[in-house]
Amino acid sequence: MRLRIGLLAAGAVTALWGVWELIRAVDLPALVRLPLWLGGAVVADDFVIVPLTVGIGWLVTRWSAGPGRHRTVGVVRTTLLYVGITSLIALPLLLRQGTGANPTVLPRDYLRDWLLLEATIVAVGYLCLMFRRSRASSGDIGGR
Amino acid sequence: MKLPAPPTEKSFASPLHHPRVATVIGRWLGTAVAVCFLTGLYSHFLQDTPSWLPIPSRPANLYRVTQGLHVLSGIVAVPLLLAKLWTVYPKLFAKFDPKAIRPAIERLSILVLVSSMALELFIGFVNTLQWYPWPFPFRQTHYALAWIIVGALLVHLAVKLPLIRANWRRTPEPAPESLPAETTGLTRRGLFRTVAGAATLVGIASVGQSAPAFGPVAVLAPRKPNVGPQGLPVNRTAEAAGVTGIDADWRFTIVGPRQLSYTLEELRALPQSRSDLPIACVEGWSQGARWEGVRMRDLLAAAGAAPNSRVRVVSMEKGGFYATSELPEEFAADPLTLLALRLNGAELALDHGFPARIIAPNRPGVLQTKWVHSLEVMT
Repeated sequence: MRLRIGLLAAGAVTALWGVWELIRAVDLPALVRLPLWLGGAVVADDFVIVPLTVGIGWLVTRWSAGPGRHRTVGVVRTTLLYVGITSLIALPLLLRQGTGANPTVLPRDYLRDWLLLEATIVAVGYLCLMFRRSRASSGDIGGR
Repeated sequence: MKLPAPPTEKSFASPLHHPRVATVIGRWLGTAVAVCFLTGLYSHFLQDTPSWLPIPSRPANLYRVTQGLHVLSGIVAVPLLLAKLWTVYPKLFAKFDPKAIRPAIERLSILVLVSSMALELFIGFVNTLQWYPWPFPFRQTHYALAWIIVGALLVHLAVKLPLIRANWRRTPEPAPESLPAETTGLTRRGLFRTVAGAATLVGIASVGQSAPAFGPVAVLAPRKPNVGPQGLPVNRTAEAAGVTGIDADWRFTIVGPRQLSYTLEELRALPQSRSDLPIACVEGWSQGARWEGVRMRDLLAAAGAAPNSRVRVVSMEKGGFYATSELPEEFAADPLTLLALRLNGAELALDHGFPARIIAPNRPGVLQTKWVHSLEVMT
């Protein structure tokens, strides 16, 4: 209990220090708009990205009920997740392509690189899928 | 028309929405947050050094490593944060009694934690693209939010401590009622592998901006460390800084016990030294380079100043936060610190600070002042 109270007190003091830093260094018009951005971050996570993941996960699980799919559903799910997370991080790069402050900022062809990255992820996923299928059909009746 | 009922905590069937899963992914995320916070604090103090804090000039590559880790841990935290949010997502729909105080504190701390961490990671990454679409100043907000995140995280740990303790070690995995786990492939170990894989994948695809070995596959990095004039990227170009070059009557001056003035030819005629030092930017990219020029401590000796004097460096740059910088005693005295005239075997390019710039070990790139035209001994 003492540890919990200690953590609680330390946390409150640290967070208040952050709030103080914020008030000290950021002027009022910017400070007023900050909660909008904080709220936007929650909306993006809790009402867009995570529900999308839950929804796609639900579809994949439904799809996996078909015959023979229990061996491959893991690979399908992982491939989709990797495509999703890399695309999310690539998004700002794709939006800002060609607008770097100078030629050494954002120097790559991000559209080409993003397509190559996704193609690689899908190709590796496909190879894993083939490998699982061939193992399954060669008489290894593991699982079910 | 009747709207469908909103989901409740029970609507999410996956057995992976479990405290054990939250504990394991929380540990990973906590580690990333700790690394990111400490390296960020170090960078903050290098740029904004309080007078009571001595910062060593060695190891020469320290800032390169810490700032590379700062950006890397931030990027890796993105999939970890999303996985953590997914795991505890049903809690968002749990019944909430507005009169009970403890759940209210818990919810408030989580709201603060999630909103500030998500925004912090977003503005941190987008800052590495030098893109600032928000109405608040980046540096100050990023710094203050970091303290708020750590505070909210400590409160969160305090609230959840019994649950974390109960799930610190492996707990038996509940068998789902309908289908065995093999059917849907939803095992905890499978999820951990997938999340660790996602974190590794985004890490490898971006770390190449600070680790040249991974440069060719750094498809998610806003910088290529070998792209730029003389094989080195640039943050602020001469054009952006309003510097167009030098006139024939250009003089480099030192204001100290003795006042000195040099033409560029005279600077080149002084004994030259070589330093292999990186430019390590606060935005995470870094690249090693070979610099040649006059040792700072030789210049100080010529001006009759002590070798460990504090020095103000004045640039020809017009305006901006970094038109002047201060070189603390230990950095001025370090034999690696140069007033550099040459880079990678050729005269400095204008974008790299022609005719002369500061290069010192273990310093953020923004403090390696370019287009230097005078030094002022401060002590």
